[in-house]
Amino acid sequence: MEALGAAFGLVFDPFVLMVIGLSAVFGIFVGAIPGLTATMATALMVPITFFMPPVPALGAIVTATAMAIFAGDIPGAMLRMPGTPASAAYVDESYAMARKGQLELNLGVNLVFSVAGGLVGVLVLVVAAPLLAEAAINFSSFEYFWLACLGLSCATMISTGHRVMALLSMLIGLAVGCVGIDPIAGHPRYTFGSVDLMAGVSFIPTMIGAFAISELLRNATHSDGGTVLVQEKVGALFRGIGGVARKYWRGFLRGSVVGTAIGALPGAGADIAAWVSYAMSRRLSREPEKFGTGHVEGVVESTSANNSALAGAWIPALVFGIPGDSITAIVIGVLYMKGMNPGPTVFLQNPQFIYAVFIIFVIANLLMLPLGWAAMKAAGKLLRAPRKLLLPVILLFCIVGSFAITNSPYGIVLMLIFGVIGWMMEENGIPVAPLVLGLVLGEMLEQNFMASMIKADGDFLVFFTRPIAGTLGALTILVWGWMALRSMRAAGSPRPAA
Amino acid sequence: MRLHPALLGLCFIALAAALFGYTYTFPAFPGQKYGPELFPRVIATGIAACGLTLVVRGWRTGGAWFTPDPALREPRRLISFLATLGAIVFYLLAAPRLGFLPVAAILVGGLAWWFGTRAWVAVAAGLVASLAVHWFFASVMRVPLPRGLFMQLLFGG
Repeated sequence: MEALGAAFGLVFDPFVLMVIGLSAVFGIFVGAIPGLTATMATALMVPITFFMPPVPALGAIVTATAMAIFAGDIPGAMLRMPGTPASAAYVDESYAMARKGQLELNLGVNLVFSVAGGLVGVLVLVVAAPLLAEAAINFSSFEYFWLACLGLSCATMISTGHRVMALLSMLIGLAVGCVGIDPIAGHPRYTFGSVDLMAGVSFIPTMIGAFAISELLRNATHSDGGTVLVQEKVGALFRGIGGVARKYWRGFLRGSVVGTAIGALPGAGADIAAWVSYAMSRRLSREPEKFGTGHVEGVVESTSANNSALAGAWIPALVFGIPGDSITAIVIGVLYMKGMNPGPTVFLQNPQFIYAVFIIFVIANLLMLPLGWAAMKAAGKLLRAPRKLLLPVILLFCIVGSFAITNSPYGIVLMLIFGVIGWMMEENGIPVAPLVLGLVLGEMLEQNFMASMIKADGDFLVFFTRPIAGTLGALTILVWGWMALRSMRAAGSPRPAA
Repeated sequence: MRLHPALLGLCFIALAAALFGYTYTFPAFPGQKYGPELFPRVIATGIAACGLTLVVRGWRTGGAWFTPDPALREPRRLISFLATLGAIVFYLLAAPRLGFLPVAAILVGGLAWWFGTRAWVAVAAGLVASLAVHWFFASVMRVPLPRGLFMQLLFGG
């Protein structure tokens, strides 16, 4: 209780509240502009949060991402362009609704169910995280090794596109993580005599490059087409929401719970949650034939799912230090830089900090209601924001942000290299998110792997002797087997050229 | 720019070989079976296996070795692409000498103008963006942005 009081004190501080308010506006702006994603919002914000104490830093990230994921629905309905990939699953449905004259109902549903879904996710986070942390306190290197393995395997298993590509991306991330002083013997690896590389490949410039610069490069080559809005003025937003809620409350609950669970799975985030929920809603619906024609049911379920996934992703991040999605991958990087290694001990030593994250999540979701309403009313102006001016300013931000982390041009060079690598990867159908996950988890994986190997004296069977480690190990092998089976089956059947 | 899957696979196999080969330069530690070379070797093996899968899969599909992005065939977009990269290189080369403010203003203004903003708006955007970013990062966050010739001329030292 004392910790809870302290947490309220930490959050309800004028500076923290100001940061939350500003990041909310920033998040809505970035989310509503197609081509700028929630992950990019986080990447752009990290250099700024780098200079803040942990609570406002996390507050900024939590608020901006929650707003961005919700705001991505606005251009989806009005332009048929998802503002963030998390809205892509139901963008056609939303646009069809808008074409039918139900733009207000669609936007209202997106707003209200984003808030409600987000709150369900937070509730699960609040209940599940401390319980899991209690169990995790007894984990040894064996358990952590398997957890990291399981996380990385799930990340490749559920990622969109070819599994081999996701696996490659993850392995490259792990390889990049090897650069620098090795964690067991202290020998410099792949540094080629460079002092900068001795400290490893700096995480934040890498991520700004992979997520933001590659996105800017894509925007630079594809930035055309005027914005043709389906409708200029947005009318009353909350009319008819009650009816939708009464009719589809099951879908809402299912979407929120499934979304939280998918978010909690390492590597899978809001976009996958929305796809899965939309597909599930269609399969379980009483009127599946209406899907795709501007039917609100699928929108309810998937818009709840993507916002609940955000909170879900924080469960493994806070408890085990294993990111649930690419956003929490960044968060873990931030926590490490602030000397707060995520893991069950944080729950014991700094519970007020965990509670503060919970409170910020609730505030962010509640703040979404008025701010989201305002954003939708101003959507016409927001969506006409001049991209040709924004791109150069974002580029300048990326440069300064990368520089600020290393205080040297090294950060900018890293950003440039990984920007080009990220762009090349996406061009060839290799997803970027697993790379960042691999980079974040690399050191933890290696440390626990080497420690376990030394403890077990090279006997791999010892990795399975502890009950929880054994279970996690068996699960991991099951996932591997399933993936191998799937790819063998895929190889056997004729496939369209990739 | 898309590479043929088989070629892409070969690139990754080469990368894996380089990673693996380099581990032989790591020293062995007496009395310890596993040293700093173990983990990179496991990863390199994984990359090679994935590369091999791509080669095997790609063998059966036809197609060109390189497929350039159709957007990049248009000169204007190709220049936009190169200008974005060039702007970063320009900053890296010019900022230490000229200082942050003029270089940032040229970068934002120039790119905005190329992307199609009217000239005076581009100039104004360059000035406002560079001053605002400089104020925030240099004055509030205390990031040592390069001072360069510009600040020396203005403030001396």
